[in-house]
Amino acid sequence: MKIGLECHVQLPTKSKMFCSCPTEDTEIPNSHVCPTCLGMPGSRPVLNRDVLKYGIMIAKMLNCEINETTWFARKTYFYPDMSKSVQITQYDNPIGERGVYYLNGKKPIRITRIHIEEDPGKTKRTADLTSLIDYNRSGIPLAEIVTEPDIATPAEAREFLTQMIGDIKHLLDIPNELEWTVKCDCNISVGVERVEVKNVNGMKHAEKALHAEMIRQIAMIKAKKKILRETRRYDPERDVTIGVRVKEFEDQYGYIDEPDLGIYHIKDLSDSIVIKESPQNMTLRLADQYKIDAKMAKQLVSTSVELAKLFEKVSRDLGTPNAVKWVAGPVSANWRVFEERDPTLDSEKIVEIIKGFNDGKITDTQCTIEIKSFMTGVDAAAVQGDSAGLDSMIEKFLDENPKIVADYQKNDKAANQVIGFVMKQTGGRYSSAEVVEAAKRLIEARF
Amino acid sequence: MTMNDTMKDLKAINAKYLMFHAMTDDTDAGDAKFLFSTKDNLTSNDMETCAGSRILEGYRPAFDADCIAKLRKAGGKLVGKCNMDEFGFGTFSTNSGFEIPRNPFDLERACGGSSGGSACAASVIEDHVSLGVSTGGSISCPASFCGVYGLTPTYGRVSRFGLIDYGNSLDKIGVISQKATDLKKYMTVIAGKDERDPTSMVQPEFRTAYRKMKSVAVPKEGIEGLSKEVEATFKKALEQLIAMGVDVDYVDMPSLKYAMPAYYVLATSEASTNLARYVGMRYGHQEGDHSLKFDDYFTSVRSKYFGDEAKRRILLGTFTRMAGFGGRHYAKAREVRQVIIKDYKSILETHDAVLAPTMPFTAPRFDEISKMSALDSYKADYLTVPANIAGIPHMSVPCGYDSNGMPVGMQFVADHWNEDILFSIAEDWEKQFDLRRPEVSI
Repeated sequence: MKIGLECHVQLPTKSKMFCSCPTEDTEIPNSHVCPTCLGMPGSRPVLNRDVLKYGIMIAKMLNCEINETTWFARKTYFYPDMSKSVQITQYDNPIGERGVYYLNGKKPIRITRIHIEEDPGKTKRTADLTSLIDYNRSGIPLAEIVTEPDIATPAEAREFLTQMIGDIKHLLDIPNELEWTVKCDCNISVGVERVEVKNVNGMKHAEKALHAEMIRQIAMIKAKKKILRETRRYDPERDVTIGVRVKEFEDQYGYIDEPDLGIYHIKDLSDSIVIKESPQNMTLRLADQYKIDAKMAKQLVSTSVELAKLFEKVSRDLGTPNAVKWVAGPVSANWRVFEERDPTLDSEKIVEIIKGFNDGKITDTQCTIEIKSFMTGVDAAAVQGDSAGLDSMIEKFLDENPKIVADYQKNDKAANQVIGFVMKQTGGRYSSAEVVEAAKRLIEARF
Repeated sequence: MTMNDTMKDLKAINAKYLMFHAMTDDTDAGDAKFLFSTKDNLTSNDMETCAGSRILEGYRPAFDADCIAKLRKAGGKLVGKCNMDEFGFGTFSTNSGFEIPRNPFDLERACGGSSGGSACAASVIEDHVSLGVSTGGSISCPASFCGVYGLTPTYGRVSRFGLIDYGNSLDKIGVISQKATDLKKYMTVIAGKDERDPTSMVQPEFRTAYRKMKSVAVPKEGIEGLSKEVEATFKKALEQLIAMGVDVDYVDMPSLKYAMPAYYVLATSEASTNLARYVGMRYGHQEGDHSLKFDDYFTSVRSKYFGDEAKRRILLGTFTRMAGFGGRHYAKAREVRQVIIKDYKSILETHDAVLAPTMPFTAPRFDEISKMSALDSYKADYLTVPANIAGIPHMSVPCGYDSNGMPVGMQFVADHWNEDILFSIAEDWEKQFDLRRPEVSI
């Protein structure tokens, strides 16, 4: 089975790709529009340079070769939400080509190309079978990332999307809470002919759509029926793919160069852009550099890149064992609350507390309490009471179920029993991160 | 005649010559410093803009084209939007969804195209400047047929913001007038960079100082296939130029014959994508059965409101863009464009301009035009297309009259950004040329 993806992600510019209309969401349809994004006769596009910058950043992250010159093309097709019946996209000389993304840091997924293009508007169907068009989205910049058919399973496709999108969000400073999703055209062939499931929204649906299409193709092959090269769409409610039309080949769009925009020489711009380390690469580096468990590295980075940076600082200043014991332990457990309380994430005090432990000024228990008290803003006495309560509840449960400790040594999922018990007993008084931390700490203390 | 006299006569003038598709109702020029009109493919926020196409009937743009805004700012009053071939697709302004302008020297004859209404207005109305747009010769041709001066500047010299596109890599906005001196005056107003048209942002300074034209090259390929009277008139003009101290050399420019096919590939490829937006939504006609599927709906609107020539060029352009043909035709045409530019450059290294008659014949009668095939009329542009595909500036200058009294024009072609030398030769020529004005009786 071969799977290849075409992933569309929105670039975080303030204004649209070819006009100065804002990109932010609005409730009022057709309010963020102008002659250019409505395709009025006589209007023309002016490129927002930030689009090139973001495109180059993603191309670099995906280890692409970046073309020294790049330009735009017209893709002509008739659809009511496409205001010019022409989409400005890239065909020859896209921003980047021939890249690679390492899934889990290991498996190479080759990137065919990354190009930038404008989004069409939105068609909204109403109950009485009429369609309304909202052009607020028309002209919003997108990057399209095309992979080679290197993905083996629908689950792997989801894993790839999750990792790559996480990396892109971090690269472009897109806040975690922002609803920012990926739209995919999923190509899959179980046998010989390839089928494209178009316009799938989000990573979960990408996996489900690919899975549904895989099942369909397998059934077709078993029934000795021919699989047509076609475009299908995914219906999430019925969990099936539905045929839309026989596939249009790229060359049927009659691409020509976009004559209103010139050739962009992007070598200097590209040379001037230095990109941040991606979370995925940071995970791999942490595991390797500090000789910590891959799972712990992943947990640190996925909780927050800032937490991972604190881990590195403590490791440097006070040694890796302290970083593992404290940063991957209670600091990580209280990180979410800390983020909410102090968006600047001023963690100097945390380092100071750990240093106190390291210098023998405070005990293990005191250190745990002080960290939690500082991070949550709850006073130390209350924290002490709470965690003493939590600890004693867990100790009691472990006394009654000693097998858990033995099981945990084989598979750390055994800790889930403790966590489930505590969560049920306390009904959300403690955060799950906190319970996990305490459970693991107390189980490990019994080895 | 004062401007107000002209304003009062405008309706009657238009009734006779049909140069305007839309025009002002004002009969008073107010505090205007000059009156102007433009081809109807330049958007105006106070007058309907249709580009000669019924598919845009009723369209009132929300914004002024950059060149119109600049002329208004300079004190100009826009009095009318000029009839033209639909979207610029033609040589005689007869491919129009609306009125067909009449030649000022003979109402039975065409004004040329596609800026026919503009040349007609410039010829008929006293002290008038009209903006035209040229893709393959649409300023030179009607200027020649109507006996006026017409300048097509270098591609990118005038912002195309507000121009309803035909072929974006070829379209150029220029000026038509009875007076050579007007061309410089109004070009100075409309030339210049505009961020809303990125292709205008690379131009060097617009020079206007006098620079005497010392030599011209006449390509042998440019004096083939002419009517006898055009040939004779042109020869006399050459003698006159020599008398004015201009050296005349004959040169070979074999690449000229490839300009025509390359032009039609590029222009129709681009046009077919530009016209895709006219689907009976958002502007222009939006009638018909709204319960139809979108494909059927827009097909019905396009079938009804596009003219035959627009349909022909959409088909041609869609064909040349198609799989397998795109590479063969479109890419090849782009290469031909570079070859032609190179050929012009090499001749213009040793000469100030390339010179030939503007059109191979004088303005034909409407009954003659109706007998011409599409290919016949495409071929009529063989003298104007090469400079247009190269994007270099050129100017049609009236140089004589045939035995019917119809004007003959010659076209000077200069190197990129050298409009100055064209203004200079036109002004020198004007001083000694006996320009005939049409008799305008209303």
